[in-house]
Amino acid sequence: MERQIRPIYEALDTGSNKSAILACNKLLKKHPKNELIKTLKALALVRSQKVEESLVLCDEVLAAKPTNDAVLTAMMHVLRGLGRHKDMVSMFEQACKLEPSNEDLAGQLFFANARILNWKAAQQISTRMHKQFHQDRYIYWSVLSAILQANDPATAPSMRTLLYKLAHRLVTSSPTPSYVNSDRFHLHLSILRELELFDEARTLLDSEVGKNICAASLACNELRRDIWRVQGLFEEEGVKAKARISEQNDRNWLEFLSLLDATLPVKGDEKLDESKCREQLAETQEFLTKLAETDGVKDRSALLALLELEKRARSHGLSSDASRMVDLMKQYFDKIGDKACCYEDLKPYLVLETDDAASWTSFLQSLTPSFANTNDLRRLINCHKLLRQNLTPDDLNISAEACHWAPDLPPTELQPADDLALLAANAFVSLWKLSNDAKYLYNAVALLEFALTKSKQSFHSRLLLIRIYRLLGASSMAVEHYRAMQIKQVQLDTLSHFILSQASLFSLASTGDLTYITECLEASQIYISNTQDTGEYIARAFMNEKYSQIPEFIIFEDRLENSLQRDIVKIEHLRMRLTHEPISSDIIDMELIELKFIFDRLHHDNRDFGILADYQPRVSEKLNEQTLLLNKSEGAGWLSTFLKIYIRAFQQGSDLDDSVEEKLLIGDRPRQMVPAGNLKERLRERRDEDMAELTPDEVMFVNYATALADWLEPYHDHARPPPSVVLAEAAKQTELKTGHPLKGVEIPPKNGSTNGSTKKDEEPPAVTDAPEVVVRYFDAMKARFEEAKSSPTLALHVATMMQEGFLLFVAETFRFKAPSVVKVNKLGALVQQFKPLRANAVTLLREVSASLIKQGELDGTAEQRKLFVDGCSMLSALNIDHDFVLGVAKKLTDSRKKTVGEVGKGMARLCTTYNN
Amino acid sequence: MSVLRPFRAADMFSFNNINLDVWTETYGLAFYLNYLSTWPDLCYVQAAPSGRLMGYILGNAEGSSSDIHGHVTALTVAPEYRRLSLARRMTALLEFVSEEAYHAFFVDLFVRCNNDVAIDMYEGMGYSVWRRIRHYYGSLGVGSRGKDEEDAFDMRKPLSRDPSRRSVRPNGREMIVEHVA
Repeated sequence: MERQIRPIYEALDTGSNKSAILACNKLLKKHPKNELIKTLKALALVRSQKVEESLVLCDEVLAAKPTNDAVLTAMMHVLRGLGRHKDMVSMFEQACKLEPSNEDLAGQLFFANARILNWKAAQQISTRMHKQFHQDRYIYWSVLSAILQANDPATAPSMRTLLYKLAHRLVTSSPTPSYVNSDRFHLHLSILRELELFDEARTLLDSEVGKNICAASLACNELRRDIWRVQGLFEEEGVKAKARISEQNDRNWLEFLSLLDATLPVKGDEKLDESKCREQLAETQEFLTKLAETDGVKDRSALLALLELEKRARSHGLSSDASRMVDLMKQYFDKIGDKACCYEDLKPYLVLETDDAASWTSFLQSLTPSFANTNDLRRLINCHKLLRQNLTPDDLNISAEACHWAPDLPPTELQPADDLALLAANAFVSLWKLSNDAKYLYNAVALLEFALTKSKQSFHSRLLLIRIYRLLGASSMAVEHYRAMQIKQVQLDTLSHFILSQASLFSLASTGDLTYITECLEASQIYISNTQDTGEYIARAFMNEKYSQIPEFIIFEDRLENSLQRDIVKIEHLRMRLTHEPISSDIIDMELIELKFIFDRLHHDNRDFGILADYQPRVSEKLNEQTLLLNKSEGAGWLSTFLKIYIRAFQQGSDLDDSVEEKLLIGDRPRQMVPAGNLKERLRERRDEDMAELTPDEVMFVNYATALADWLEPYHDHARPPPSVVLAEAAKQTELKTGHPLKGVEIPPKNGSTNGSTKKDEEPPAVTDAPEVVVRYFDAMKARFEEAKSSPTLALHVATMMQEGFLLFVAETFRFKAPSVVKVNKLGALVQQFKPLRANAVTLLREVSASLIKQGELDGTAEQRKLFVDGCSMLSALNIDHDFVLGVAKKLTDSRKKTVGEVGKGMARLCTTYNN
Repeated sequence: MSVLRPFRAADMFSFNNINLDVWTETYGLAFYLNYLSTWPDLCYVQAAPSGRLMGYILGNAEGSSSDIHGHVTALTVAPEYRRLSLARRMTALLEFVSEEAYHAFFVDLFVRCNNDVAIDMYEGMGYSVWRRIRHYYGSLGVGSRGKDEEDAFDMRKPLSRDPSRRSVRPNGREMIVEHVA
């Protein structure tokens, strides 16, 4: 048997699911009852997206209550693939009942519960495991389960302390002390901190072994420091830190912070003993000054600690020397100015009073610029960054030569010069913001492209270029730079917003170009690996007893699972999909289910905006905000608004009401974190703070969509076939596909209807006129388009929102396309209303389409390129080759030509598809 | 000044300034989670007081009896934070913990044979070449320095459990192996 089964495993391992299924079928003829073969076939089916067929086998195997290791292992994969984690728990429960002495099975049952965050059950199971199998680690599994249950937001606050007390009792019941293993020790300490059992913590930490653990474990030492702080033992911690710094040469900034906190708190309301503070201050200053001398330029900690201490002294009114702050800053610049981090180090101290600010600025201005070597160049760059940070609003007006250092760009082609190009690009962006003149963006583009020829790997240049190309409508150039960075894995979650934010406005999916759809799908891969891998490693961490990691992994998994970016991409993908695939009831049903899953998620924003090299002055808007497409950043409010629109539209268009969905849906429901009210009411809710995240044109779209849904709701409700009919149809389809009836669905006796459209006895709701907002939407958007024409991006935005309104109309009226539905439901009068609406929309969209196509052609002309090249005159001093600039101009204008023109053509195509 | 603290899973959300550098690879989730679920005490980050990450080290401990050793799998510092001894401090802690918690005899690491800057740095930290491994890095192909670009040096540093310095040999650069054992 084993010999016959091996090829199936091999086929599965190599992803040849088809041959795995064939091999299973062959073997099943001989051994029709074999659970392992059935399971492996179910697995191959899941992996080939044949969910219904897989379900049948899966249920058969579950019903047989397997205990065989190979079957259970394969079933774990099947159930995970189907999202049936709860069934996994019951499967192992059954197996454990049949083989109560099997330790592995008990462990699997524990992990299955951990997988669905059922910590209460996990805690009980591990307690039982300890009693039965006498392994100390099961006590700790149980301890951590109790803590995780306590920390779960779903646990009542009153239970929290009780659970921690339970954890404490369990730890102390362990036959071996927790310090045999640093992760057990860590767990023990975290309980003591929570329960404020400081004496017990102290006994552990002051013991020889406790000290040794903290010396070799950053995690334990972190917790120790925390426990000391919670108790307010700052002075004691300060003494320890000082010893570590001077005796063990520790330069961890955390030690310096402890020393500073012992000297002067950051800022407190409590009354300080002034003379004592002055004494401590002087003492620490002396200590740090000496240390700074010994360390020289080797380590900057002491120098920076002096700055931080002076800042604190000032905030407490204890500073004795008015010029000391700036003196320390100058000293810092003298010593560390040739390191790239100098600017960032000094940034927190740059907010200065008038006199200090003047003295600091004149110091920086008096430095002699030099490009002699890399160190000098870095010094120069730091100087410029620091000066720019402190520019006042007056310095920022256009007449000021804000990019005066651009000509400083040395011909040396050193990589550190990247920063000069970025600084100049920051200045160009500011100038563009002030003047609204695109020529400043042209300069930034040409300069950054030039910098990239000298330093090919400068991702900072690329990131800023992506932003600017998008602002200029040159979408394919943005994609080119994005792809050159090879963003992958977890970076897809944090960085894909650079090209996928509002990507549907650049998408050419309507013409069959799947560039952005592909990027959406690729960006979503990481969420699949999160589902597959992270849980696995939570189990692994239990096995390895690395308890400190488990809460971190759970947070990580949650942040990725419920990532805001994930679902923003989902919405963008949906918007593109509707322009690419014919709108059908399949799309409506599938998207409805997916969107409803997302709707109640508590989202985490993992997007990395800080990665942009921002050298804008303190008083200015941040570079990120300055370069956002359409001046907005989509947040949870934006997402929720679009989710509501599409869920509502698809709910109306779909036959799957909640009761049907309940029966048909496979797998677990998402964990309900928010108390869910009536979904229908929540979909109508509108919050001002959400709307604030929308562009004015999106607001118009929302108003239109809402009015459209309000108008059509009664007719959809009237025409939707009753659940029994829908289920019967689904059962019929399943039986045709799999040869088995649909489980749990009883087919009602037929009452004369054959095609699902039952004859209605009741009268249809009276047909009302289309609301004004719906009637006027396309005219209003057309008018907006005429206003927006001068900005390629805004024009595309308005045009695509108009197109989206049209596609939403198609989806909302899809149900009424079937003449039989209209007839049985007596809705002829309603359908008559659709015709002029549709015709008007198509006419206006065709006009916009023609205008975009014309604009695209214009973008491809020599004049446009000349406009760009002429605009780049500010770069002439840099000796950047004219042909190079012309080349950049050509790429940019060609890219824009393609985007604008093709969006126009795609729009015409959609008009033809849905013309009637 | 930089905070030396444990690498946490959530740091993957903020290591872009380090990992976008072309010489730092971004692996799948499983890679990082495997290290964290097995050797969390050998994985650290250095962070600026603002919280911005500056660099990180991921290490493991393997081998048995007299071959027990710590291993530096990934060591990287963002371009703007180089020349601040961050790598040195992270490596020193990894060496200390390898010895204290895993009773290691030595710590080793692999480095591209043409990466003179890194080799110099490691030599300065007490590492020396133990052997040369052929075709360890396949990705770049053979360039101007021939096999140096795809071969790796296995560099080792003896810890105090190896007082006779058995993990050091003078002719390590000539000891060529085809595969890592």
